[in-house]
Amino acid sequence: MAKLRARIRLVVSAMAILVLTVVAGPLSAEQPTSVDPTADAVNEQQLLQQLHRIQGLGTIPDSKSYVIEQPMGREWRRFHEVWLHWIGAVAVLGMLALLVIFYLARGMVRIQSGRSGINIVRFSALERFVHWMTATCFIILALSGLNITFGKSVLLPVMGPSAFSAWSLAAKYAHNFLSFPFVLGVILIFFMWLGGNIPNKVDVAWFKRGGGIIGHDQPPAYRFNGGQKGVYWIVVVGGTAVAISGYLLMFPFYGTTIAGMQLAQVVHGVVAVLFIAAMLAHVYIGTIGMEGAFEAMGKGTVDLKWAEEHHSLWLAEEKARIGPGALQQQPSATAAE
Amino acid sequence: MRVFLVACLAIIVICIGGYFVLNTVQQPTGMAYATEGARISPHWAWRSVLSASGANESATKTATDQECHRRKTWQWIFVDFGRPEGESKICTDSQ
Repeated sequence: MAKLRARIRLVVSAMAILVLTVVAGPLSAEQPTSVDPTADAVNEQQLLQQLHRIQGLGTIPDSKSYVIEQPMGREWRRFHEVWLHWIGAVAVLGMLALLVIFYLARGMVRIQSGRSGINIVRFSALERFVHWMTATCFIILALSGLNITFGKSVLLPVMGPSAFSAWSLAAKYAHNFLSFPFVLGVILIFFMWLGGNIPNKVDVAWFKRGGGIIGHDQPPAYRFNGGQKGVYWIVVVGGTAVAISGYLLMFPFYGTTIAGMQLAQVVHGVVAVLFIAAMLAHVYIGTIGMEGAFEAMGKGTVDLKWAEEHHSLWLAEEKARIGPGALQQQPSATAAE
Repeated sequence: MRVFLVACLAIIVICIGGYFVLNTVQQPTGMAYATEGARISPHWAWRSVLSASGANESATKTATDQECHRRKTWQWIFVDFGRPEGESKICTDSQ
């Protein structure tokens, strides 16, 4: 009996081993033959596609350092190393070329009926002060800003590393600090000339007739014609855009993320070069483009004939306001050439 | 011309004003990028010990005459280079 039990136990044990071998066999076959202990749990490319950045957690206060990879940075670098150069070059050099061609074709817009020798006040001392404060700052801001984009490729080979470094450092300080009077000037310009710069039907007619610049027509205009209103709104809107984006760059990461800083730089760069191109046209018309125009901002007065030809509606208003007798003969001004 | 010169003067005045305003608002990088969680005091730097040896010698000499708090063990363990309230700056600089 004991012998039988022992045999049964042996058979049962043998069967149990056989069953275990049959069941465990396929399971072990499913295991990988080689294990890579360094393999990532999540594919890096998958993370970039889903999150547009690879970011982790850190213990140091600067949370920006937690971002390890962000493809937008490459796009931004491509923008400011390549695209901004092209946009800037086309806008600024293109505008300069256009103005040269226009000047050669059209020449200076003369006072057709000649000077009367009678001057009328066009801009007060305060208005000229604000204009020149803003304009002076703008010129330095534009030159120092262009240096940031083009200086490395244009000036560095000419000046050498030491001189270029010293110049760029000074230019950057000037760029930062001159922003304050510039922004103040833009704010004052906005409030000072807002009343005269609301577009109206007269401006539409003015543009349709070429503004007295294309051709020899003399369309009527109030104190500011359609072109000057365009310049006004470019200064206000463009100035606001460069001011906001500029201060975001000047005070980095105050309320902005890495993406926000990149966007601010893109906006600042593009708006600034377009702004510069527009102001080149403004400077052209105000100096060599039109006889008698510079006097308005230089001395504050314009010749009566100039006012009749370019701002007849404004002149009528002024005559009604001050009386025709108030206009007095003064030594005739020379053309602003 | 006079208006232009006045405008230039105003630009200079506003720039200088901006410089002083920013100086009061801005912090040195050691302070701006440190928080209360950072144990090393932003005022403290090795260069204050290593640089300006002449000035440091006099500072050390003066420090011996002054009452400096002895640092507790936990302060050494957690590398607390901060200065206890009321203690002279020289005590920290001379460590």
